[in-house]
Amino acid sequence: MRPFSRSALAAVALAALLTGCGGPGATAGGPANGTRPSAPTSSAPPAARSVSAVGRSVPVRLRIPAIGVDTPVMKLGLAGDGTVQVPPITAHDRAGWYEHSPTPGQTGPSVILGHVTVGAYGDGVFRHLKDLRRGERIVARLENGTAAEFTVTEVRTVAKDHFPSDEVYGNVHRPELRLITCGGARTGDGYRDNVIVFAELSSTSRS
Amino acid sequence: MALACTAVLAGAVPAFADGASATPSPARSATQSATRAPSPVPTSDRASTAPSAVPSAAPTRAPRSGQVSVVPSGAPNTGVAPTSSDSHGTGALIGGGAAAAVVLGGGAVFLVRRRQANGA
Repeated sequence: MRPFSRSALAAVALAALLTGCGGPGATAGGPANGTRPSAPTSSAPPAARSVSAVGRSVPVRLRIPAIGVDTPVMKLGLAGDGTVQVPPITAHDRAGWYEHSPTPGQTGPSVILGHVTVGAYGDGVFRHLKDLRRGERIVARLENGTAAEFTVTEVRTVAKDHFPSDEVYGNVHRPELRLITCGGARTGDGYRDNVIVFAELSSTSRS
Repeated sequence: MALACTAVLAGAVPAFADGASATPSPARSATQSATRAPSPVPTSDRASTAPSAVPSAAPTRAPRSGQVSVVPSGAPNTGVAPTSSDSHGTGALIGGGAAAAVVLGGGAVFLVRRRQANGA
């Protein structure tokens, strides 16, 4: 075999190798493991404007206009292992309110969870939660007809290994809201991080 | 010496007795008044046994007023990665890469043979 033919075949083999390696890396997406520190997307909550709390009433719907969310809200409790339950993996998944937290508008941290993706069904109801920005609105409609409007104060991405339970579930002295989903790099069939939105009550109205 | 001691002790005892008899009298009267005062209280205590039902109702309302009553453990698993569509994409890329390799290899062989034929 001549030198030219050898080099041509070597070039072809190299091209095939590079093409094969490019696939999985491109689909995995996100930064490599351990390279991205979990850092807050934004911080420093704005000055609080105190709005009086509302009575207890279970949330039935959640709207987040900035990211196109308008979903029914179901009740979630505790799983057998002590973790919080999550909504079922379905085609049109919904958000869920943790029933051992205050209802939206009560004093304390009301906690609502939703999926970022739902396996083969694609995007989850909180797919774009990480895109929320400070100052944007979240409206929880309650069973008694009250609409509790919240304003985003902070959006944070944290490693699941360092989930800030105290900040999410700890006592606060005004009506607040926590929205939680997954985010960050994929690990197996899940995700490495959680995206947490912190919001405070800005107004209430009755329909 | 012994006489002096007995004299001192004999003088001290009456002094105690006098003092004790003088000062406790107001105290005793106070205790008496105190024991008298509560006498109507038990009746009111019995009357206030009925409102004891109120505290038992209050704690059931207290957790409802706010705050998280049970803190879950760990972090929520709020995402199942779209693995099936992911594997489809990977398979398509691998297949495409293999096809491209075959086409490139065939072209290279064709060019080599043609060059050899022209050179011969």
